[in-house]
Amino acid sequence: MSNIDVLIKYLPLLIPIVLLQIGLMIFALIDLARRERTRGPKWMWVIIIVLGELIGPIVYLVVGREE
Amino acid sequence: MNLWSAFKKEVLEQARTKKLLIAVILLAAFGMLSPLMAKLIPDIFASIPSLASYSSLIPPPTVNDAVAQYVKNLTQFGVLLALLFSMGAVAQEKDKGTAAMVLSKPMPRSSFLIAKFMAVSLTLAIAMAAAAIGGYYYTYFLFEPLKATAFLEMNGLLLLYMLVYAAVTLFFSSLTRTQFVAIGGAAGVLIVFNILAALPNLGKYAPEAMISNAIALMLGQPISNWWGLWVGLITIGVALAGAWLVFRRQEL
Repeated sequence: MSNIDVLIKYLPLLIPIVLLQIGLMIFALIDLARRERTRGPKWMWVIIIVLGELIGPIVYLVVGREE
Repeated sequence: MNLWSAFKKEVLEQARTKKLLIAVILLAAFGMLSPLMAKLIPDIFASIPSLASYSSLIPPPTVNDAVAQYVKNLTQFGVLLALLFSMGAVAQEKDKGTAAMVLSKPMPRSSFLIAKFMAVSLTLAIAMAAAAIGGYYYTYFLFEPLKATAFLEMNGLLLLYMLVYAAVTLFFSSLTRTQFVAIGGAAGVLIVFNILAALPNLGKYAPEAMISNAIALMLGQPISNWWGLWVGLITIGVALAGAWLVFRRQEL
């Protein structure tokens, strides 16, 4: 079975996980844009959120936000 | 302010700081991902040219692999969340002066601590429920139906395992005003317990034994002893009592 066949076969199960990941990324980016102060520069958090897959936004939400 | 009011305040705080959302999304994602990863590992190996030759050596994945992957991911990330969510629970409130403000009202310090532990427990329980629903259905679609009661018992044990580290972190958080010291102390206990778990004859006395008991429960295997569970419960009790003894006369 080729990689494409595997992807198509499991796509219905992958979609909820991808949606969860994209939703969390958008939520973290909106929070970052609205926040006045963060721990560390904002550009660094944008990179972490966008490239960090599921863990990146969570690292920002737990560690990056300055109350 | 009584325990119930303090608990409601802490639950609102968990929602306001997005800790509840973070925990639910993280554990639900790994609940769903675990059976999927177990199923796809042979295909992933086959798709990487340098590893393709090894793919034939991997036996076809079974429901046991899905359960093992689920337990591994959930315990790792669950304990991480327990540590992160409890490290500042008391330390940060002391540092910012909010603990003194809250405790200026007639509220016992024991209620202040127990409310925090209960709120973290509730957050982790909701997140574990989300993970369990995801994990159950993904395992059902990819492998076979799991025994619902055994799966529930397994998740209960895993949650209790996470609460051991939530209580230990709360204890260290009550000792200090710096949350990173609190998480460092809890990580130290985690390392000690993991070393204990790896020792022959002594491993059964570590709370980590709850993990192997959880898997055995799920697979319908006999469980020779419940020492891990008892040590875990005692650790929670000792950590909370210790936190209260330290915190009750502490200057805020």
